[in-house]
Amino acid sequence: MNHEEWLERAEIYALGALDGAELRDFEAHLASGCAECEERLRDSREALAQAAESLAPFAPPPSVKTALLGRIGAESPAPAGERRFRWSWPVGVGALATAGLVLLLSWQLIDTRRKLEDAQSRLGVVESEKAQNKEVMDFLSNPQVRVVNLTGVPPTSGGKAQLLWDPVARKGILLTIGLSQTPAEKAYELWGLSGSEAVPAGVFTVNEQGRVVFRLPTLPESKPFDKFAVTLEPMGGVPKATGPVVLVGNL
Amino acid sequence: MSGLPADESIQLVRQLARGDRSAFGRFYDAYASLVFTFAIRLLRERAAAEDLLQEVFLQVWRDAPNYNAERGSPEAWLVMMTRSRAIDKLRSIRRRDRSFVSMERPSGQSYDAEVESGAAASEARIMVNSALARLPDNQRQVLELAYFDGLSQTEIAARTNEPLGTVKTRMRAALQRLRELVGKETV
Repeated sequence: MNHEEWLERAEIYALGALDGAELRDFEAHLASGCAECEERLRDSREALAQAAESLAPFAPPPSVKTALLGRIGAESPAPAGERRFRWSWPVGVGALATAGLVLLLSWQLIDTRRKLEDAQSRLGVVESEKAQNKEVMDFLSNPQVRVVNLTGVPPTSGGKAQLLWDPVARKGILLTIGLSQTPAEKAYELWGLSGSEAVPAGVFTVNEQGRVVFRLPTLPESKPFDKFAVTLEPMGGVPKATGPVVLVGNL
Repeated sequence: MSGLPADESIQLVRQLARGDRSAFGRFYDAYASLVFTFAIRLLRERAAAEDLLQEVFLQVWRDAPNYNAERGSPEAWLVMMTRSRAIDKLRSIRRRDRSFVSMERPSGQSYDAEVESGAAASEARIMVNSALARLPDNQRQVLELAYFDGLSQTEIAARTNEPLGTVKTRMRAALQRLRELVGKETV
């Protein structure tokens, strides 16, 4: 096998498409320390990364950053470079007593740190909820936004939702409460209905209280909706409703 | 879209590795949009993309000490991490639900055509003017099936009814063209 063929495999490997014996052989070749293939792999990955960067950008909601900062606040940084205690055996009773005191103080320090991290975590959650509430309030302040009340459909018991729907921008926020927790491998899917035509409007899951604040994707142009419904579907959603209707509400 | 000069982004990752939380905030601000946009393109669902965005940056926080600048830029590291996690999710969905919409795409049907017909039409717009949009159709198709849908070369050959050799040739040509496109200009 000439080396050009290894370079070809490096490119297909960068795309994540190499499989079977070719994959095993190439990984063994890489592990042998082939600098040329490493370089081709790196160049291909950089090109793919730049292709990803060339996509027209979507801005993530601020609530994600707030939640993340809360989570890393509650989590120790990675181990490299982290200071660790180094213990040496003390000699004599005094040294033992000192060691005991240090141990006690260390325990208190760890306990205090844990409490601080818990507090930071809770603060992160509160800040995340605050950002979410602000987003809802900002949305509500838009005069063209309509409020749609969705209620449970028998035999489904419990659960209701409010959809804040902007028919001009075709955006919305759905707030649910009391829905049954999403079963494994299932998800709720929202639909905009115009007569008998149903347009998929996003897939979501709920927490233990059946709550979610779900931002709809911007929906494509279609006839104006007169109704919204939620069905239970396979995880990932489906283009046409197949599951039972859980909630429904008229615009 | 986003990003920092190479030296600055590598320096930020080193600070992350030392547990610098303010560096984390700066790194997130520089690259969150890249990861989020790429996640939407891969998963085609905004809420799932938000979850993935969180997962990727948590992994960044945890794995920063393992980052090796000699193996690629922080952008390439982030993109690989995002793709790897997204493909795991897509494969998991595919295993559990063979009717998952993206996996039922008939061979030869373009991504844009499908997405425009569905709820994710807005996501299709992210392709406009991208480097990928400038690839010839047959090259773009195999690259997308591999890179965005996570199919192997054998699966792509079966999906497109093309010989494996043709699929490989198109993938290589797509990647070479992509390298030329992104090398010549800032897209």
